[in-house]
Amino acid sequence: MAPKFQIKVFQLSRFIKNFTIISVVTLSFLLVFFSKTDYYVLSGIKNLSSSVVIPITRFISAPINIFSNLIDEYNQFRSLKFENKILQEEIIRLKKWQTLAIQNSRENKVLKKLLNATDNNLILVKTASLINRNDTIYSKLINLNAGSEDYIKKNMSVINERGLLGKIIDTTSNNSRVILLTDPNLSISVKSITDGIFSLLSGNGDGKYLVSSFVKENKMPRLGDIVVTSGTAQIFPVDLLVGKVAKVEKNRFFVLPFVDFKNIDYVQIVTSK
Amino acid sequence: MEFSKFFNSTIKLNFILIISFSISVNSFILLPNINNSFYVLFHLTFIYLIFYHYHYYLYLVAMVYGILFDILLLNYIGAHIITFLSLLMLYVLLRKYLFRLSSFQIIFIYFITLIILLLIEQFLANQIHNYKFNMSSFLNFFLISLIIFVPTLFLFTKLDK
Repeated sequence: MAPKFQIKVFQLSRFIKNFTIISVVTLSFLLVFFSKTDYYVLSGIKNLSSSVVIPITRFISAPINIFSNLIDEYNQFRSLKFENKILQEEIIRLKKWQTLAIQNSRENKVLKKLLNATDNNLILVKTASLINRNDTIYSKLINLNAGSEDYIKKNMSVINERGLLGKIIDTTSNNSRVILLTDPNLSISVKSITDGIFSLLSGNGDGKYLVSSFVKENKMPRLGDIVVTSGTAQIFPVDLLVGKVAKVEKNRFFVLPFVDFKNIDYVQIVTSK
Repeated sequence: MEFSKFFNSTIKLNFILIISFSISVNSFILLPNINNSFYVLFHLTFIYLIFYHYHYYLYLVAMVYGILFDILLLNYIGAHIITFLSLLMLYVLLRKYLFRLSSFQIIFIYFITLIILLLIEQFLANQIHNYKFNMSSFLNFFLISLIIFVPTLFLFTKLDK
C-alpha cells in the first residue's frame, strides 16, 4: 500500500507542478497580449500596484530615502553661505521688479476691462504632492497623492510654478500616475511664442531635453525662443509654458523644459475651461 | 539558532529579491546609481535562484515581479515578464548541460546571462513599448554588473554555506 500511496502523492505533486507552470505561462502570455488593448485587467493591476505595492516598496526602501535626504541636507548646508549671498542680491533685484510688476498689473487690469477679456483659461482641479517617482530606469513616471476621489481624471494636465510637467495617465481612488514631458512616449503639440511655429515635442530619452518629432511646414524656431502648448490636440490647455529652444538642427530642434524635473514637490492638476 | 534554521538560504535570497525590487522601483534623484545597482542585484539574485535553487514556484515569482517591474517602470506589461519566463524555460531546457560544467564555467555563464537579460529587456522595451534603446544606460548597467558581480556571488555562496 505504501509504495502505491507514494506514487499517487508523487503524481499529484507533478500534476500541481505542471498545472502551475502551464497556467503561469498562459496567463503571462495573455497579459502581454492584452496589455495594450484590454483596459479593465491592466487598470486593475495598476490599481493594485499603486495602492498596495508602492506603499510596501516605499516602506522597504525608507532607509535609502532617509540616506538620500541626509545627503541632500548636507549639500544644502554646505552651500548655505553662498546661497545666502545670492538670495540677498536676488531680493534687491526682485524689489525693483515688484514695483514694475505692480504698475504693469494695474495697467493690465485696465486694458482687460477695455478689451472685455477673460482672466484665465485654466481650472485648478487639485494641488497634490509627490508620493514616489519611477523615472530612473526606462520610463519617466511619478505618482501623486490625489486620485479620482479628488475629481482627477485621465489626460488632465499637471503643472507647477515653472510650467508644464506632464499629464495624468492613470488614476485610482487616492493616487494618480503622471507621465512626464521627458518621457519618449509622450507627445505634446506646441508653438513658439515669437514666430508661432507649430510642432510636436516628445522626450529625447536622456531625461533632459525635448525633441521635435514634427514641425509644421519645416520652419525652425529661433534659438532661445520660448515654447508654449498650442492647445490644438485638445489635451493640454493653451499657452502653458513648456521650455526654451536650446538647439536647432536641420530637421529638428531641442527644447530645454522650464520645469526642473529633479525638484518636484507639489504640483497642480489643471484642465481647460 | 532556531531563527537561522527557519530562514534557509532560499528564503534569504527571496528577501534580497524583495528588497532589491523595492529599492529599484523607487527613484532617488541624488543617488540614481543606487536604483541601477539594486536593479542589477535583483537580476543577479533571480538568476542565482534559478541556477542553484530551481523550483517551480519560481514561475510564479517571475510572473509577479515581471508584471510589477513592467507596470512600475514601463507602465505596460511586456519586457520583464517575457524575459524572466524565457530565462526559466531556457534553464529547464539546458539544465542537463549546465550540470556538466565546472564552477568557473558556471560563473562565466551566470555573468553572461545577466548581461544578456539586461540587454534583452532594453531591446524588448524598445520593440514593444517604443522606449529608445539607451546605450549609456546599458553601459551603466554593465559597469555596475562588473563591480557588484564578485561581491554578490561571494555573499550568495556565504548564504548557501
